[in-house]
Amino acid sequence: MSGYTQTRYELAGVEVAVYEAGTGPPLLFLHGAGTITGFDSLLPLAERFRLVVPHHPGFGDSADDPAVCDIHDYERLYLDLLDALGVGELTLAGHSMGGWIAATLAISQGARVRRLVLAAPWGLRVIEHPTLDLFSLPDAEVPLHLTADLSVFAGKVPDPPTPEFLADRYRESTSAARLLWGHTYDPSLPRWLHRISAPALLLWGDADRVVPVGQLPSWRSHLPHAEERVLAGVGHLLFDESPDAVAAVAGFALPPPGG
Amino acid sequence: MSVVDDIQFYVFNHHHYAHLPERIDDYSSSWVDYPNSEFDPRLAHELYQRYTREIRLVEELGFDAIAINEHHNTAYSLQPSPTVRAGHVIASTEKIKILVAGIPLNLSLPNRVAEEYAMLDVMSGGRMEFGFPLGTGMEYWSNAAQINPTTARARFREGLEILLQAWEQDGPTSYEGEHFFYRFLNPWPRPYQQPRPRIYIVGSGSPETVDLAVQFGAGYSVVFTPIPQQLRAFESLREKCAAAGRTLAPDDLIITTIVYVADSDEEAEREGRPHIERFFSWYHRVQPKYLSPPGYVSRDNFLRLASSAALADAKESSWEDMLALGRIAIGSPDTVADTLAHWAQEAGSSRILLQLTIADMPEEKAVKNMTLFAREVIPRIRAKTGVPK
Repeated sequence: MSGYTQTRYELAGVEVAVYEAGTGPPLLFLHGAGTITGFDSLLPLAERFRLVVPHHPGFGDSADDPAVCDIHDYERLYLDLLDALGVGELTLAGHSMGGWIAATLAISQGARVRRLVLAAPWGLRVIEHPTLDLFSLPDAEVPLHLTADLSVFAGKVPDPPTPEFLADRYRESTSAARLLWGHTYDPSLPRWLHRISAPALLLWGDADRVVPVGQLPSWRSHLPHAEERVLAGVGHLLFDESPDAVAAVAGFALPPPGG
Repeated sequence: MSVVDDIQFYVFNHHHYAHLPERIDDYSSSWVDYPNSEFDPRLAHELYQRYTREIRLVEELGFDAIAINEHHNTAYSLQPSPTVRAGHVIASTEKIKILVAGIPLNLSLPNRVAEEYAMLDVMSGGRMEFGFPLGTGMEYWSNAAQINPTTARARFREGLEILLQAWEQDGPTSYEGEHFFYRFLNPWPRPYQQPRPRIYIVGSGSPETVDLAVQFGAGYSVVFTPIPQQLRAFESLREKCAAAGRTLAPDDLIITTIVYVADSDEEAEREGRPHIERFFSWYHRVQPKYLSPPGYVSRDNFLRLASSAALADAKESSWEDMLALGRIAIGSPDTVADTLAHWAQEAGSSRILLQLTIADMPEEKAVKNMTLFAREVIPRIRAKTGVPK
């Protein structure tokens, strides 16, 4: 995370590490259920935006908080963060588990969210195209399912994995399980997505083995105004795998002329 | 007074599914996802008959207690419901104590467990003791994902509070916690033994389970863990009890052992070793992931486990490792009596939980093992203090 500055905020009693880069209108990026690959691939966004990438409680450099165990705990925690940052209107992007959080935030913060990017988001139950249960997948098969391009792990995963590395993954898996052990979706989400009126982008890799691109039409049916962009040959870690994913966000989220 | 003055012998019958798969190394685990197409109900019926014969023999031979427990999705155990089994054990025996150790409270409802256990105690006329495990990590993979391992310890603590309140206070009472809300806690029946049967926390020595034993005035039973870990757990419990103003008695501590006894050390190793090796190589065969579902242990505990091979990778353990780490007493009656008396003294424990039916051991061998232990080892241990039973 060399291109970022880290600030630590105490939000609702938990210390959250927040990485920022660039200046301009704020873009809050909410990550998925892991921090192995880091977020340097997002740095091109800092050329036009004040890019804000918090580590969720219990992930990466943030402290643990067992009480953050519900999607609305995440939603309210990031409301606190926006207040702490003095951010009013913003562009909101979320990937995977972070996409679910972003959609939830956008439902309650309609007036504040200028543009919304949902990248391979969790949160919906699509019976014909179920989200993969990463918990029960044998450890050795996880990387192959996370990405269509294993080189994204180069230099980021020790070979063989050290006990420290495994313990860090176990910690993040624990934090994810607080929210996701029972379900990777929110049964009431479809009922409320209609409250999102901001321009939205649904961004997916067509080789995603975790949240299959087959879920996209279901999101579209609840967000009929959303644009969509599907990247060929790209898996679930789309921002690490393809500069096109980052460029798609930048292109969609560019502030309107004079804005 | 020496702890061996009041020593009691509990026989733990795990009810292993004693038939091994033909292509055993096709399977990375005998738990959680070991296919139940390997289960033959007719063979299992025979096994239940056999284990009932063994339980009757345990009583005839004069052991003090029978112990049974609960596991799911595994060839390790034919006892997904120890209360069903205990009902039958009560009917199959006359006066021996029965330790059910036990239902992981998170897999049931605490009031229901309070009722079922009280029912057993009343039916048996007060022969019951109960052990309370958190449940192995494997049980959380094998049961519905709505039982979240990240809150398992907090739910377990509340479950124990509820169960003890249900037993010890006149009902109806109410209970409101973070995980449970009871409007009318008022179980029928209540336990035969008043104020309640003896209870033990069953654990592997983690600080969390040791604290539970202190908080609830319970004994502690260490499930199969390496010797140093068992001793550390007891030491920590002793210190924490002392700090809380409670003196830990020798009968508050149950040590767990695997025992095979024969006429000579050589014969014991020849006869017992293959089954003990199978116990580790097959019945303890578990993917590390299944041992620790997310949140089941802390990051630091996970790191400790990941850093020490211990018995986790039992397939790779040598016989010498097993003897050194495991609580295995194998040999002639003299050898076994010396070993067990030493361990009991060392741990300050007067309750020894013996595993005498081991892995795929045939019935004749198990019977011989139990008989020799009762006739040759128990008198030797008692003779060490000259206190007749």
